[in-house]
Amino acid sequence: MTVTRRNFLKLSATTLAAGAFGGLGLSLAPTVAKAQRMNLRKGKETTTICSYCSVGCGLIVTTDEATKRAINVEGDPDHPINEGALCAKGASIYQQAENEARITKVQYRAPGSDKFEEKSWDWALTEIAKRVKAVRDETFKEKNAKDQVVNRVEGLASVGSAALDNEECWIYQAMLRSLGLTYIEHQARI
Amino acid sequence: MKGKTFFIDLTKCTACRGCQIACKQWKKLPAEKTRNMGSHQNPQDLSAITLKLVRFQEVEVDKTLQWLFFPEQCRHCVDPYCWEAAGGDSQDAIVHDKETGAVLFTKKTAELDYDMIRGACPFDIPRMDEATKVISKCDMCNDRVQNGLKPACVQTCPTGTMNFGDREDMLKLAEEGLAKAKVKYPKAMLVNVKEVRVIFLAPFDPKLYHKTMMAEAGPQMFTRQSLFAQLFKPARAMFT
Repeated sequence: MTVTRRNFLKLSATTLAAGAFGGLGLSLAPTVAKAQRMNLRKGKETTTICSYCSVGCGLIVTTDEATKRAINVEGDPDHPINEGALCAKGASIYQQAENEARITKVQYRAPGSDKFEEKSWDWALTEIAKRVKAVRDETFKEKNAKDQVVNRVEGLASVGSAALDNEECWIYQAMLRSLGLTYIEHQARI
Repeated sequence: MKGKTFFIDLTKCTACRGCQIACKQWKKLPAEKTRNMGSHQNPQDLSAITLKLVRFQEVEVDKTLQWLFFPEQCRHCVDPYCWEAAGGDSQDAIVHDKETGAVLFTKKTAELDYDMIRGACPFDIPRMDEATKVISKCDMCNDRVQNGLKPACVQTCPTGTMNFGDREDMLKLAEEGLAKAKVKYPKAMLVNVKEVRVIFLAPFDPKLYHKTMMAEAGPQMFTRQSLFAQLFKPARAMFT
């Protein structure tokens, strides 16, 4: 095994964890010591990418294996973009999953309506697919004004996708191109 | 003198406040209700739930506007006055971790005299939770450090302002940083470098950043320390 920085951290964490909290014999921080210990002792680590700006910083998400909820998110020291660093927004990204104010159900506001109604994911995804299909069929152009073959859809655009990595972007791009989209913007240009 | 030390190079700080948020995130501390006070600084002061705070100051230096950023936290004094004031080795409300040098406030701080503990701090750092009376401050992310990780604020810093490591390495880095900073800022200095484990490289006069960024020159600190040492001698004699 090559010892990368990350592996090194893991190794030292394993060797030190046993003796880490025993020495003082009393709680370290006032009110939150319990939660802190959990962060280090339990949990499965997975990597992801920050969804906020175009920089694309790498993150490590620690998930409690019992509750399946995120218990900590921080910069990935092995990620070449940010080398473990995160800005204030990135550092708060934990709340994207764990926040009582977070909306967890689909909210739908019908055209002309002044209020949101709760819908199911099935309903939402089917509705999106239906509308994409309708607009695509309606605005698909085989030829342009000069009678050249273009096979493009002019009524749809895609904006965003900062949270996607390179490979995901490729799949997303392939899907959009197969629909015939030409107006495609990635977060990096917004 | 071994242990750990922070080196905070203010010539590199952009006040992104990543450190302030990373601290809250790691410790799962709640948000504060804030309002616009005409500055980007929020909240206005440290508290029992805000242990790291980036202070903003707009000042005029040599007829030029300077926007100064000061990511404040406990300095983890080499000889901690709060620990001394609480009774030093005779108590365990405030623990001085000899291995790292971290000064740790436990739940037992609820039994201490808050005004005395806060008053003992030359940097005015400790804050009490009104409900529980527990006194809080930065704990050097002792849990992370003991597990081979950097403190949350240091790990997240995108500019290289925040550094953390063995004291001798940090002192070396601080001297190098100071030499570089002097080229552009002739008055640059390392604040209380001998007395603290959180060393700020300040390009301008520390007083411009915040009134308690720098502890008053040696004698006063010494006086305060010896004052408390005197004060607690009888108590300590009782326990030992």
